[in-house]
Amino acid sequence: MPIAPDVYKKIVTAKLYIDGNFTEAIDLDRLSREACLSRFHFHRLFTRIYRVTPHQYLTRKRIEEAKRCLAANEGSITEICNEVGFESIGSFSTLFKKEIGHAPTNYRVLARERQQQTREQPRSFIPHCFIEHLNSNIQEAAPETVM
Amino acid sequence: MITKVSHVTFFVLDQDKAYEFYVNKLGFKVNTDAKMENGFRWLTITPPDQPGLEIALLNPLSGMMNYDDETKDAFRVLLEKGALGAGVLHTPDCKATYEELKTKGVGFKGEPKDQFYGVEAILYDGLGNWFSMTQPK
Repeated sequence: MPIAPDVYKKIVTAKLYIDGNFTEAIDLDRLSREACLSRFHFHRLFTRIYRVTPHQYLTRKRIEEAKRCLAANEGSITEICNEVGFESIGSFSTLFKKEIGHAPTNYRVLARERQQQTREQPRSFIPHCFIEHLNSNIQEAAPETVM
Repeated sequence: MITKVSHVTFFVLDQDKAYEFYVNKLGFKVNTDAKMENGFRWLTITPPDQPGLEIALLNPLSGMMNYDDETKDAFRVLLEKGALGAGVLHTPDCKATYEELKTKGVGFKGEPKDQFYGVEAILYDGLGNWFSMTQPK
């Protein structure tokens, strides 16, 4: 059954509410009010449109922000856990490891190492063709390609 | 045997604006943002659910890209005209994503339409590239 255009706008409104407020405590009642829909209809339609439940989407946003904070070295693991909207360090660490494949502490170490490499050896991230072909050989290679 | 694509290029005339569009509006993830001593910026992004595909947002007029003046002029003309078609972006729901991106100021060529391959809307990145945003059947 097709979704009416005004219903799309309601679901998008709630999705954008999550995007802008995911660090706060958000529950299904709050989101369904934002969408002006019943809890049941909101949950069903959100899940149909985005292929994840509102709670899964909220968790994903928080994990993404936690990744950013960890990479930026913004506070302790516990502080980041609280700042991105998780209430329990235990559930945060478990979810983070499940989703990202590394514990928050390990992720921070890896992210910092990558940042350091980006600063000190930027060429190591660039495939050779982008540097060599485009920078020095393109004018020689191009005629051969055309012919 | 070639098995997959790991890097592609979107040419843009302004990498800061490209970052704002692709990362902050479309929701792509930054993979690498490295600046070289000569000012060249290697900026790559990945689609949210496709971390293995790096899209290099390259400015063809950058000093590192050693095109001759004629080639640079051609790039500039094509990009300023919006004459390049960059590809197809997939979305789980075209109409919802259309509504969301419209609120963020993304330009579209009309509303989503049913096509034989799915629901499609055509969007413009404001930097020279057009995309089909498609919800596949």
